[in-house]
Amino acid sequence: MKKILVTLALAVLGLASAQTVVKLQGFGGNDTAIMSSLVREIVNPALEKEGIRAEYQGIEGDYRAALLNALSAGTAADLFYVDIFWSEPLFASGRVEPLNKYFTPQELAVFNRNLLNAFTLRGNVYGLPKDFNTLAVQFNKDLFDEAKVPYPNQTDTWDTFKDKLKRVQAAIKDVAGLCVVADHARFGAFAHATGWRPFNAQGRTVLDANFRRAFEWYTSLVKDGAGKYAQDLGEGWTGGCFGAEKAAVAIEGAWIGGFLRDKAPNMRYGTTLIPLDPVTKQRGNFIFTVSWSMNAASRNKEAAAKVLRALTSPEAQNWILSRGLALPSRSALANSPIFQRPGKENELNRVVFQGSTSVGGAVLPFKFGALDGGNWMRPINEALQAVITGKKTVDQAIADAQAELNRIVR
Amino acid sequence: MLRSQRIEALYALLFLAPFLIHLGIFFVFAFVRTVGFSFTDATLIGQSSRFVGFANFVELFREPRFLAALTHSISFMLVVTTLQTFLALALAAVLNQRLRGITFFRTVYYIPSVLSSAAVTVIAIWFFQKTGFLNTFIGYIGSLSPVLLTFGVLFVLAQAVQVGLERWRGLPVPWLDPALATISLVVALALTWGLVGLGVVRPLEARPPEFTWLTNPDRFLGVPIPLWSIVILNTFTTIPTLMLIFLAGLQDIPKSLYEAASIDGATPLQQFFSVTVPMLRPVTFLVITLSLIGTLQMFDQVALMGDAAPLDSIIVLAYYVYNNVFSGEGKVGLASAAALILAGLTFAIVLLQRALGISEKAH
Repeated sequence: MKKILVTLALAVLGLASAQTVVKLQGFGGNDTAIMSSLVREIVNPALEKEGIRAEYQGIEGDYRAALLNALSAGTAADLFYVDIFWSEPLFASGRVEPLNKYFTPQELAVFNRNLLNAFTLRGNVYGLPKDFNTLAVQFNKDLFDEAKVPYPNQTDTWDTFKDKLKRVQAAIKDVAGLCVVADHARFGAFAHATGWRPFNAQGRTVLDANFRRAFEWYTSLVKDGAGKYAQDLGEGWTGGCFGAEKAAVAIEGAWIGGFLRDKAPNMRYGTTLIPLDPVTKQRGNFIFTVSWSMNAASRNKEAAAKVLRALTSPEAQNWILSRGLALPSRSALANSPIFQRPGKENELNRVVFQGSTSVGGAVLPFKFGALDGGNWMRPINEALQAVITGKKTVDQAIADAQAELNRIVR
Repeated sequence: MLRSQRIEALYALLFLAPFLIHLGIFFVFAFVRTVGFSFTDATLIGQSSRFVGFANFVELFREPRFLAALTHSISFMLVVTTLQTFLALALAAVLNQRLRGITFFRTVYYIPSVLSSAAVTVIAIWFFQKTGFLNTFIGYIGSLSPVLLTFGVLFVLAQAVQVGLERWRGLPVPWLDPALATISLVVALALTWGLVGLGVVRPLEARPPEFTWLTNPDRFLGVPIPLWSIVILNTFTTIPTLMLIFLAGLQDIPKSLYEAASIDGATPLQQFFSVTVPMLRPVTFLVITLSLIGTLQMFDQVALMGDAAPLDSIIVLAYYVYNNVFSGEGKVGLASAAALILAGLTFAIVLLQRALGISEKAH
């Protein structure tokens, strides 16, 4: 009798757990709506037969703090976003499952090589790139027309670009050329163009003559009347000024498309590549990307791997791309006809995608070795701010930043 | 023990249980864990940790950012406690008057305390911006300076003429006689309005100062300018609560003391310093203690300022602890050591103020 009861109980439990739930965690805001639809329309139908169901949970506020907390408390989801910016310390900690076991080299090879490398540590792949972004120059066509200045284009060097900005700022009252931000996430693209790299062969950060050249040009934008300091205009990013028509150009990625759709739906804007360094005739850029990574403490690793495959499948990436939400991480989609469609947002996506290819010049992932990106960037950001606001000379600011970086990069 | 006594003790424990459980989990447990962590090299994402003895404490005192946070916390505590105690007392004394509609003013002055700290900080970021309200307002006042100056001079002239006339008639009017001042005010206003209308006096062009509050690494009295912005903000939001405590204290002072004082010929100012201040001592002790603890543990306003100001110019101990846990690999060990130092400092300062500062007893 007892045996029958136990068997019955097990059977009931078995039925109840026939559906394996794989929990996903990522950014809140827009991502919650997008990922929930993707999971509902693409991922879950594909996995229904196998009895797997995915659930997306967006985290509002400080995602990173929430994720680290959940990981250390053992309550993190089975799959979660990892931003490349702070990925390496997390991958090195052993809290993230290497994916080589679950995916064959052929399966991994379909992803953009640069992106996959960004999530590889000591030969192990710790995440599949979800999508990516680079920087591009967005310009307000009406403002340039009104100022009778030619639009920025991909043959512009720093000098011709700055000259155009100066002319727009001089011609139109209350409009800046560019909202200058004291942020390495923008300035760094120009520094890369000079041949400077965040870390030299010895793994140290040296703010050399090349860095200085980019630094001087970038900080001179405000002084020479080609831009205004974003915080003085009450904005935190170049896109904020651009959307409010306080600035004629912005330097942002494809994320500005969705923002402008809400903020300035009728704005006529164009997009072009970041200007060239006049000395090296090169451009520079960053790759911003987020991975899908697996929790090493997950109890449903096999099921999670299947969900991961569905999340990064060609169908899923096409679904995202066709809605203009993000750029696909699969190389094959680079030739998608969607990129060739007319319209300002398609142009934006196309140029941002090009930024990651050879046209983009010196493109580096937005991460800083084994260090936390925020800590590494802070001295440079504060140096930029000090010079832009006229508190320090270029020499002094760079010397102070170098001293601080010597302390951080050990 | 008698049976009834035992039952009584059981009931007492039962009623205390919710509080004890809460205290046990969120204070005793957390505190013991923090002490434990402070002697290890634990990180938020690391899998294991080692015992490192006092290494974390030694490292803290070698780190410039911790030392900056420590000095900021102490200067913030000194400045804000002084400012808000004096201002809250002054405000409470004013609002303790028996005037028509005083409840309206009491309500209005209490409002800053009701507002959420997050909302106030976000508004403050706009307020302190280079092209924000504060600088624009200063620029506006500056541009009106000729008009204001004309008004001031006319007022003084009108008052002087009137008082002179009255005194010449042999009436002993004081220089600031309210009735005459009202007439002077009206006369000065009308004359200024007329002069501006005729174009004799003209406001200057508004030129807001170029001063930056939040992104300025300069120091004033050894404290960075962005931290001064937080001092202003924090004083503004905490004065009302302290004012309320003072107000309650003021209402407890027997009226007979003031009556006796005025019979003895004490002026209102003498009454304030010889009756009000000594009688308020127990309340002042409470206010200062609350203020010391509150200012040492201030966190929200620094956290919400975020990137609006350079971190090293606004960091305080409480934020240092948070920042170490939630950036980089999450140095839980180091942050725990810093948290213990903050706790020890708070404890020491409160004991010190109890021993040397204002005592609990009224004289």
